[in-house]
Amino acid sequence: MAGLGYRGEMADWDMSAVEADFFEVAPENWIKRDRSPLYKLLDSGRPVMLHGVSLSLGGQAPIQQEFLMAVRELMTDLGTDYYSDHLAASGDAHQLYDLFPIPFTDREVIRISDRIKEVQNILGLRIAVENTTYYTNVGEMNEVEFLMQVVERADCNILLDINNIAVNHKNHHLTNVHHFVSHVDMQRVTYIHVAGHEFDERFGLYIDTHSQTVETETREVALELFQQHHIPILLEWDNDIPALTTINQELSCLKTFIST
Amino acid sequence: MPEDFYLYVRGATEVIPPGYSESGMRAYRHLVMLGACQMIEAHFPAIRQQLGEPAWKELIQAFVRQSAWTSHYYGDLKDEFLAFLARESDREDT
Repeated sequence: MAGLGYRGEMADWDMSAVEADFFEVAPENWIKRDRSPLYKLLDSGRPVMLHGVSLSLGGQAPIQQEFLMAVRELMTDLGTDYYSDHLAASGDAHQLYDLFPIPFTDREVIRISDRIKEVQNILGLRIAVENTTYYTNVGEMNEVEFLMQVVERADCNILLDINNIAVNHKNHHLTNVHHFVSHVDMQRVTYIHVAGHEFDERFGLYIDTHSQTVETETREVALELFQQHHIPILLEWDNDIPALTTINQELSCLKTFIST
Repeated sequence: MPEDFYLYVRGATEVIPPGYSESGMRAYRHLVMLGACQMIEAHFPAIRQQLGEPAWKELIQAFVRQSAWTSHYYGDLKDEFLAFLARESDREDT
């Protein structure tokens, strides 16, 4: 089962020709806009999940109830129970419209899980948090320990991004994909993200650009998890979006049976 | 998260906060600038060409450096930019 992140650039595409089983959109892009493209996706019998970018679970600003009520209304309108955002900050007490690292510390485990609980209490449902790419960070524990402590204390789900784990391993050489995945409670994983990334020589870092095909190892780990745990996989392609045929080829690769 | 982290990301200091890497901090500063450039250029496509590259970059750097954006909606940067230009204009008039 393979889904696709639906982007504005796809507005002119014949979406009936896209071989995705489900879609994902950022609620921030649709709360105040005409939703007819999303209704067409729903009419084709394929669900639409919500994956936010601005909740700023790691930030210092108070959780905005009004925003969450707008998310809740969109969830009802689209008939979905799936809402996730990133285990990251969008800024300090303000927004900077990017994703910044949360220090991997005991103190932040408590603060962030409390914020997730607050979000879940307002929405009246369990959300998922995505493990994110980080380009530099501090803290006394490793990333997967931090992730698991947060989600267990908050009792929330996980949106497991295999590409982010691969990018972090290339940049920091700390936790490889197999080791990371082996420490994740798969019962909490709602679905899996895969994407491509690029090396940026200006920083000497791999950047999570979502602008390339999915690497073989990332795809194979995702397929293994699908085969072992029936966890759906979703392709994110946000920049330099290719032709529909290329997207379909990528989706087809995400539906291929592999021998494990 | 130290205050210095976001001061650096906004371009308000050149001091790398303790424990963070210089390359990673530069990447974050770049990504924030890129996001601001893309949204402002999408709404005001003529400004970059009219100003020329150095003045355009300086303008966006100033916009990011003073930022205190609160909206959940990235598209609202357009309104923040107009408010920033009005503030800058008032400041120059006084």
